[in-house]
Amino acid sequence: MLARLASVPLFARRPMHGNVSGKHRSPHRGSSVEFAEYRKYVPGDDLRRLHWRALARTGRQYVKEFEADTNLRCCFVVDTSGSMRFGSGYEGGLSKIDYARRLAGALGYLAVQQGDAVGLTCVSDTVVTSIPARRNPAHLRHVFDTLEKAKPAGGTRLVPVLHELAETIRQRALVVIVSDFFVQPDELRECFEHFRFRNHDLAAFHLLDQQELEFDFKRPMRFVDLEGGTSILAEPTEIASLYHKALQSYLTAIKQAVLETGVDYHAVQVDEPYDKALMRFLVGRTQRVGVR
Amino acid sequence: MSFLQPWLLWALPIAGLPILIHLINQRRYRTVEWGAMQFLLAANQMSRGFARVRQWLILAMRVLAIAGLLFAISRPLASGWLGLAAGSKTDTTVVLLDCSPSMQRQEAGVSKLDTARRHLADVLSTLSSNRWVLIDSASETPLELEASTDLLESPHATGVSASADLPAMMQSLYDYIKANNPGHTEVWIASDLRESDWQSDSGRWTSLREALLEFPQEVRFHLLNYGDNAANPNSPPNLSVRVTEARRVEVGSDAELLVSVLVTRDAEGPDDLQKISLPIQFEVDGARTQMRVELSGVRFELKDQRIPLAGGAVRGWGRVSLPADINPADDNAYFVFDKPAPRRTVVIADNADTVRPLSLAASIAPDAAACPSDAFAPDALQTLAWEELALVLWTSDIPTGKTADALRAYVDRGGQVMFFPSKEPTSRQFLGVGWEAWQPLARPATPDNWRGDQDLLANTASGASLPVGRWEVSRSCSLAGEFNTLASLPEGKPLLARVPTNAGGVYFLATTVSPSDSTLAADGVVLYVAMQRAIEAGLAVLGDARSQSAGTPLPATGEPWLRRAGDPSPHDEEALSTSYAYRQGVYSSGEKLLAINRPVAEDQTLQAPSEQVQQLFTGLDFDQVDTSPGADSTLVQEVWRIFLGAMMLAMALEAGISLPRVPQQVQAFAPRVGSPRGAPPRALEEVA
Repeated sequence: MLARLASVPLFARRPMHGNVSGKHRSPHRGSSVEFAEYRKYVPGDDLRRLHWRALARTGRQYVKEFEADTNLRCCFVVDTSGSMRFGSGYEGGLSKIDYARRLAGALGYLAVQQGDAVGLTCVSDTVVTSIPARRNPAHLRHVFDTLEKAKPAGGTRLVPVLHELAETIRQRALVVIVSDFFVQPDELRECFEHFRFRNHDLAAFHLLDQQELEFDFKRPMRFVDLEGGTSILAEPTEIASLYHKALQSYLTAIKQAVLETGVDYHAVQVDEPYDKALMRFLVGRTQRVGVR
Repeated sequence: MSFLQPWLLWALPIAGLPILIHLINQRRYRTVEWGAMQFLLAANQMSRGFARVRQWLILAMRVLAIAGLLFAISRPLASGWLGLAAGSKTDTTVVLLDCSPSMQRQEAGVSKLDTARRHLADVLSTLSSNRWVLIDSASETPLELEASTDLLESPHATGVSASADLPAMMQSLYDYIKANNPGHTEVWIASDLRESDWQSDSGRWTSLREALLEFPQEVRFHLLNYGDNAANPNSPPNLSVRVTEARRVEVGSDAELLVSVLVTRDAEGPDDLQKISLPIQFEVDGARTQMRVELSGVRFELKDQRIPLAGGAVRGWGRVSLPADINPADDNAYFVFDKPAPRRTVVIADNADTVRPLSLAASIAPDAAACPSDAFAPDALQTLAWEELALVLWTSDIPTGKTADALRAYVDRGGQVMFFPSKEPTSRQFLGVGWEAWQPLARPATPDNWRGDQDLLANTASGASLPVGRWEVSRSCSLAGEFNTLASLPEGKPLLARVPTNAGGVYFLATTVSPSDSTLAADGVVLYVAMQRAIEAGLAVLGDARSQSAGTPLPATGEPWLRRAGDPSPHDEEALSTSYAYRQGVYSSGEKLLAINRPVAEDQTLQAPSEQVQQLFTGLDFDQVDTSPGADSTLVQEVWRIFLGAMMLAMALEAGISLPRVPQQVQAFAPRVGSPRGAPPRALEEVA
């Protein structure tokens, strides 16, 4: 599966800073194969970059600027709050945390394979684990171990943690958030804007279980909150319609937020094979950036 | 609300099953760990009020549906008053049916009796019973029926000319229950509450009620009242005819019949007392004549209407008819005529001189006919022609031995006897009644109570009462035995008593005509009237032509009675010979002719007040419903369909409320990488 996925490279959608030339564009323009733009010559510029033909034709002095390719810093933010433990097992589906592990693990592997650095942050009501981004395969093993040991528990403090991360990730990076996003859409929008403001390339995997979408219970149920432990007794048939209404309203707000903030958003049902979800993600990025 | 299968109502708690299931379901919830709590909490909060109402509505509908089904299979009845009749398993159902002429009054072409029979057949076919028994007013004999619908066909349930005797019918009912000891018994009485039939003043009711109260089993009474107060007040007045007298007289070489007729109009309805021209038809031995009379009041009496007798006929019969009206049972009257029998009376006395007033009173006939009156000593009766006597006045000691046997035989064939106390009464008795001892009174007493409605001291035809209260009695002789008191002195001492008999009349007068004992002879009017009435009653069984009221047994003869004429039987059926005594008409047996007519009491339209009738059943389980002849509505109706409909409605509502609201579909959350159905999956490389 990874071999098949590896045929589709992982691209960042924004130029990346890096100290190693790679597949990813760098915002630092320099002598590179890839032309960026012309600008007026100012004294002090390297005359080697002067566009002589333009000077000859127009008499004006322009300097060619090139984009430099760089390596990708890929930071995975995995939500390990209690709600991620949920999994109905619908059509052999995984729990949300298992799905998140696989997604993050596979993407991390692919990133390291193509020479990009991979970091991991596990979030619940606190930052459970934070691993800085590195490129070596040994580091990948550490990431895998951390993912494996991540135990979903506690409430969701995704929003403050994301704000914190947006500030702490210094260089431009591809930030991949894997979560069920059970937070207020407005607050989430602010987070996304924060990341955009910090010039990070933000991708979001929104994981939901089939049962969370369908809410097809037929009998009275006692629902125990995975995050707070509180419980309510409900007649699902009575409230299904209202549940769907509230859920739809939430999803609409989330989609509106990601549209407005330009987040690479991927809604994923955990009964969907994760390689397909990854393929969608990778292909989507390829189409946006353009395969070179 | 009443039910035919009330025991099924014990299952009503089953209607609470949905609530129980709901509660159990509430307890049998599954626990699930849930992440998307925010939506759940929002939905739960929003739905709380409505969901609760909806839930209770669904539960209520389910409960109603089950309750509706249970009520439906319990077979509810629409008539609330019938509630007492339904509901428990009836062992025996007894119908007391008043078949008297007044019950044959019609409304909308249907008689009260036919309506009652139909009503009863409908009601009783709805209510279950192990046994059906009919006690009709004619025979007063319990008759078991195969089914309740037999009421519509049984000849015993058809109209007759005899009055009903409700106390006697109740007595018959009592005897039946006592003899057969049935279980839960329902008694249905269908009657128009005529006082003449109910005799609500009769002392028999009290003893009957007390006797019925003593039965251990449940006995319920239901009275269907077809009285005129329940009938249509706009019905036209009813006319009835009666022959008060028919006698043959000879005028020279010819013979004539003098017929007196009384036409009565009941005073009801808007046509009251309007003058009407009425044709009256006379039929004598098949020859008809008609005359028209003007009827302006309630009664019209035609006295001594002369009808020539063809060929000087000596014996024969006739009929007087009115045009058919709302009661065909009283539009005909029958009579027979013959040479009158001599009004022979005999006084049995130790000393004939002391009883001269009696002889005088007996020998003066009201119509100047011969009235031979003889006096005999008690030991000289060997040559007495008992078969010619109309009245025997017995003033000596009560007879024993052969004399007593002869006297009993005379009474059994319909003879009349009046006993007066002897000077020194002994303990001898006649038919269980005898003298005790003379009781002198401190001062002369006058009768303070007497029967003015019947028998010897009855009021005159004009309604005036006899001056019985003017009698003064200085000395009376007390009586022992069972008798009916016709007149009594203060403190209830009997003055004139009648011994109940199957035929004939046996009277005991507790004083004598001696001036030292009473003023009977001095104020002779009452004595004379009483004697002449007794003679008339005695004459009725003499001769070959007799008249009697319907209901009286036919005189015993050597040959069977044949019906010569009479009212048509219901449904044009041939009248049963066993019912001849109850149907008016003319009957013959050998040389004897017999005219049977409605009893005089049938012309009295007075009804027993409802309250008084209810009092007759005080302490008994009794209910009454007023109905009317010709009414199409049945007395009882099963209404299970309503409950079934309610059940179905409740189920439909429950289904409607329970229908899951069309869930607001969540728009496709995640796009799927995949092929349309049926298409081969694309290779990953193609996608890439």
